[in-house]
Amino acid sequence: MSLKTLAATAFATLLLSVPGAAFAEAWTYADGSGTTVTVNHVPTRIIASQDAAAGLIPLGIRPVGIYADSAIADAKALEGLDLTGIEIIGEAWGEVSIEKAAALKPDLIVGEWWPLDNTWSGGADVVNALKPLAPITGPKQGASIVTLIEDYEKLAASLGADLAAPEVAADKAAFETARDKFKAAVATKPDLSALAVWAGTDALYVAATEGSSELMDFASWGLKLIDPVIADDRGYWETLSWENIDKYQPDLILVDNRSKITMETAKAQATWTTLRAAAAGQVTDWPAFWLRNYAAYATELDKLSAAIAAADVSIGD
Amino acid sequence: MSAASSFAPVGAVVAVRRRLQRRYGLVVLGLALLSLAVASLSMSIGDYPLPLADVVRSLLSPFTGNADAANDFIVLGVRLPRVMAGLLSGAAFGLSGIVFQTILRNPLASPDIVGITTGASAAAVLAIIIFKWSGLGVSVMACGGAVLTALLIYGLAWRNGVTPYRLVLIGIGMAALAGAVVSYLFTRARIMEVQEALSWLTGSLNGSTFENLTPLAVALLVLVPLAAVLSRSLRTLQMGDDAARALGTRVEFSRLGLILVAVLLAAFATAAVGPVSFVAFIAGPIARRLLGPSGNVLLPAALVGGLVTNAADFVAQHMLGRNQLPVGVVTGALGAVFLIYLLAAAHRSGRGG
Amino acid sequence: MSPGGTSAGLPPAARAGGFVLLAVALVVVLALSITVGARPIALSDIWNAVTAFDPTQTNHKIILDLRLPRTLVGLLVGAALGLSGAILQGATRNPLADPGILGINAGATLCVVLGISVFGVTQLSGYVWLAFLGAGAAMLVVYLVASLGREGATPVKLALAGAAVTAALTSVTSAILITNVQTLDQIRFWQVGALTGRTTDILMQVAPFILAGIVLALLTSRILDGLALGDDVARGLGLKVQRGRAMVGFAAVILAGAATAAAGPIAFVGLTVPHLARAFTGPNYRWILPYSMLLAPILLLGADIVGRIIVPPGELQVGIVTAALGAPFFIALVRRRKLAEL
Repeated sequence: MSLKTLAATAFATLLLSVPGAAFAEAWTYADGSGTTVTVNHVPTRIIASQDAAAGLIPLGIRPVGIYADSAIADAKALEGLDLTGIEIIGEAWGEVSIEKAAALKPDLIVGEWWPLDNTWSGGADVVNALKPLAPITGPKQGASIVTLIEDYEKLAASLGADLAAPEVAADKAAFETARDKFKAAVATKPDLSALAVWAGTDALYVAATEGSSELMDFASWGLKLIDPVIADDRGYWETLSWENIDKYQPDLILVDNRSKITMETAKAQATWTTLRAAAAGQVTDWPAFWLRNYAAYATELDKLSAAIAAADVSIGD
Repeated sequence: MSAASSFAPVGAVVAVRRRLQRRYGLVVLGLALLSLAVASLSMSIGDYPLPLADVVRSLLSPFTGNADAANDFIVLGVRLPRVMAGLLSGAAFGLSGIVFQTILRNPLASPDIVGITTGASAAAVLAIIIFKWSGLGVSVMACGGAVLTALLIYGLAWRNGVTPYRLVLIGIGMAALAGAVVSYLFTRARIMEVQEALSWLTGSLNGSTFENLTPLAVALLVLVPLAAVLSRSLRTLQMGDDAARALGTRVEFSRLGLILVAVLLAAFATAAVGPVSFVAFIAGPIARRLLGPSGNVLLPAALVGGLVTNAADFVAQHMLGRNQLPVGVVTGALGAVFLIYLLAAAHRSGRGG
Repeated sequence: MSPGGTSAGLPPAARAGGFVLLAVALVVVLALSITVGARPIALSDIWNAVTAFDPTQTNHKIILDLRLPRTLVGLLVGAALGLSGAILQGATRNPLADPGILGINAGATLCVVLGISVFGVTQLSGYVWLAFLGAGAAMLVVYLVASLGREGATPVKLALAGAAVTAALTSVTSAILITNVQTLDQIRFWQVGALTGRTTDILMQVAPFILAGIVLALLTSRILDGLALGDDVARGLGLKVQRGRAMVGFAAVILAGAATAAAGPIAFVGLTVPHLARAFTGPNYRWILPYSMLLAPILLLGADIVGRIIVPPGELQVGIVTAALGAPFFIALVRRRKLAEL
């Protein structure tokens, strides 16, 4: 190849790419980390974290690839979503296949900004691996799942999703009905107190409300959650020895349902029933940290409303 | 070089020496070619479909300027650093292992068995879980942990000198202690930190970059010549303390120097890729078997280390189903097989481990 | 010569007295283990829990359902670890033999991990059989591997074979855990070695094995005393050396396997206790074994009690405490001895 043809090719490439960039509609998005991302066209080949995928897919935006924190089958957020045709590029925290990701030729990476850890979902290793391929962006995890879903709506709309599509609108309507039912159930039992827990064989971990967006939602809708005394380095949990789990006596216990093992572990402990609510069977699921769309939220809220309606409020303290 | 050879006719000695040199040359050449073959395979196969011609073009692109950003990223930014990470860390582990095995006169002793990499692991897990560090901070901690553990083991084993067995046993005690620290930290951490720590502990070439390989490369540049110089006394040491002392080698000095070099090699390799198990353990014995009873085993052991690491990584990436596993999983399994072979071989020849 | 070192221990007449003292100490530790815990419970409540149990009383439930089983599991596990360490050291004439560094922990962990991830076992009581199986298999492999070669299972070969088998099994375990976060979340609390959450179920599952193992182990004292004189002398005394060793090995696997099954991997108890026992008894297995059987649960439960109060409001698992106490002891032991004695 002569120098002349080389130069000509280079020039031609330049000419072809510059107008492409200039005339296509540029896409910008102000994300949860406080930066504004610009792509010279509306991104269509998106790689999403498991949580972002759970937020976007029901709104009609299908990513080309997903990276998860665990085996896909264990990713509670993705439960029930149709993932056919989507490449799974990672199934462990901090691990993605860069080659699989690159082969997807992504033009956008969508994760969630974790303000406390100052990083995107997946952690520094995943961010470093994916950053060279496409800009990384997404909403911020914050004080409300509803706000987070609304952020996904904005993001999806900017990516071309039709939020008025019948199934999308139906999901939202179902959520609003479920939320109103939840508020009503809580309103009829103003004295009901609830406690959100995770059970391990070593101890019972009691959650602080402000550590979890959905608990903040529940509280804002009137549910009285018992806030533990935070005494350990985990920040949002109080560790109670199984000898001391009756420190709080709620009317209703919410058990982290990311894994069904948690409930089994709780029930296997000899002192579990010293919680009077547990003895009375006033125990239900806590959709801990994983809700990202209206459909799942509606289902979980209905379970909670039923449990609240059935609860005897004289059980707890 | 047995004593008998010095009584043999001069011509026979020359012939023997020449034959040994030829074998050494063949082994080194063979290992280098095999390493190159495995490296080429790793460079050209991956989830990102790339014809061989494009791989070559990308490799040459820094010189030709004939660039394709996406392809170059895969070849120069992902595959090349990964292969280099395998070669360099494997070489460092291999060298470190053969030095340990020779000094401690035990084929079962290597930095991963005698607790040094376990010390590095405990320090790294501490960095990940308690200090919430990642990247360079973890590497520095791992390196420091390895050196500190080694010093502790050596110091505790010192009692009017250091005997190999005492060193090995105290190393195992330290490994158990460091293991308990890791177990405890695992129960105190958030599950995702545990995942991160576990994947580091297994040893992975995933996400290698030239930046995080630089410290290891510099360390090799400094330590390998040092190892070569000291290896002359190493060969004397192989004959045992008494013989070595009789030959006038300052035993403790050489031993300390070599152990220090070996510890640093293991420390830098662990910092770069994590404690990839068994590479240090198997590289030396494989090299020794290829080489026969004599000849300097350092270079072949380094080559075997790099070869084994990259071959294991290729298997872990492409031959174990859909999930890509960290390289340490495959080297661990390989180590088990080799261990049994080693002991069976020792059984046949009547030599204990 | 016996690995007991130079000390001849207490004069023979005092040995029985020492044994009684140890028994008293054990009773005190047992009582402490029932009275000390995360929750302050009055002594009168404890007395009532035993004499007039009322299931509606939380304190009664905690005493009977948590502390009593935990204490009894600690008692059995301790006795099992101490005895298995003592008989292994005797049979191999190896003062460093310890079921914990001979690979059983890695074997048990791998089997439990497989049980959780493949068979969906989720509770501690379900881990027992798996751990038992894995522990036994791993110990067998380590012993076979180390016995290859002319001089048989030397201390260093055993230790290294244990370390190597551990490393190999651990890599398989890691491969499973890396993409299986739920299994990882379960196993991390088991593999640290703890008495927390050990219920009556678990006690009942392992008790028959440990009791049978204890009887078997105590019966081997004559064999061990014979073996201590060397194989040839033992044969001269009419001892069936191979059969004796096999019996000891069998008892050790049952004891160590059941202990690990009940409490998870606990290192160093089996190693250190027989040495402490020898300091009192001298090299006589008829005394070393009963002393080990009492000393080990005293240490284990003592470590567990320390772990309960040292880092409030949480607990330090007993496996961590024994490692922190045992590793320095092990190192001191290695330093103290001339290697020719090994």
